[in-house]
Amino acid sequence: MKQLLLLSVLLLNGCALYDAYTMTKYDPNEYKLITEIRSDAQQAKTDCNDTDISRVNAVNLASKTHMFTLYSEHVPKNKDVIAASAELDAIAQGLANQYAKTTVSAVFCRIKFGNVETSADYMQKVIGARPR
Amino acid sequence: MSVEQYQQQLQSAYNGSQDPDVQSTAQQANQYTELFKSGQISKDEYLQTMADLQRVAMIQRSIDNMQAMEYLNTAITGLITLAGLV
Repeated sequence: MKQLLLLSVLLLNGCALYDAYTMTKYDPNEYKLITEIRSDAQQAKTDCNDTDISRVNAVNLASKTHMFTLYSEHVPKNKDVIAASAELDAIAQGLANQYAKTTVSAVFCRIKFGNVETSADYMQKVIGARPR
Repeated sequence: MSVEQYQQQLQSAYNGSQDPDVQSTAQQANQYTELFKSGQISKDEYLQTMADLQRVAMIQRSIDNMQAMEYLNTAITGLITLAGLV
């Protein structure tokens, strides 16, 4: 049995083994932030017919996704969340910038908030499943 | 190539792939193109939604990496626990 276990461990790539074993553990603050982003985007999607409210929603959401990138940025062994949070932030900033420069269609508003919601949902799943 | 030909290519990607991420991306790209063609979203908005498809795909890739690491972590921790019990 011991030999079998040893063989299983040796068969795994050494670096991947080390990285996986020492991976970043579950962080309740990170999980809370991504949950808030998902929840805000979900709620904001329903307000897209009101331009004034949606403009405020877009700015607030972009501020939160930006805070999430800053929060994740200096957490060690966190390169995948750092990469994903930068993309999530770019999606949210795009909508806020669009509201800042021109009128925004309700369809576009729903697509953008929907993209943030879906992406945050994916991220929430893996952030929540990290080892305790 | 015309817009219609690109849309045909998207349809082929949708039909030819078993990967739900590829299918969903192809379907969304087609939907955004239709919204742009019918004037429901502006050119600026269309360009941004198409760029977002790439961003969501990047997020998906990072998530796949994290998921793989989490599975590996569970396996390693389990093997270590088992070794301690033997």
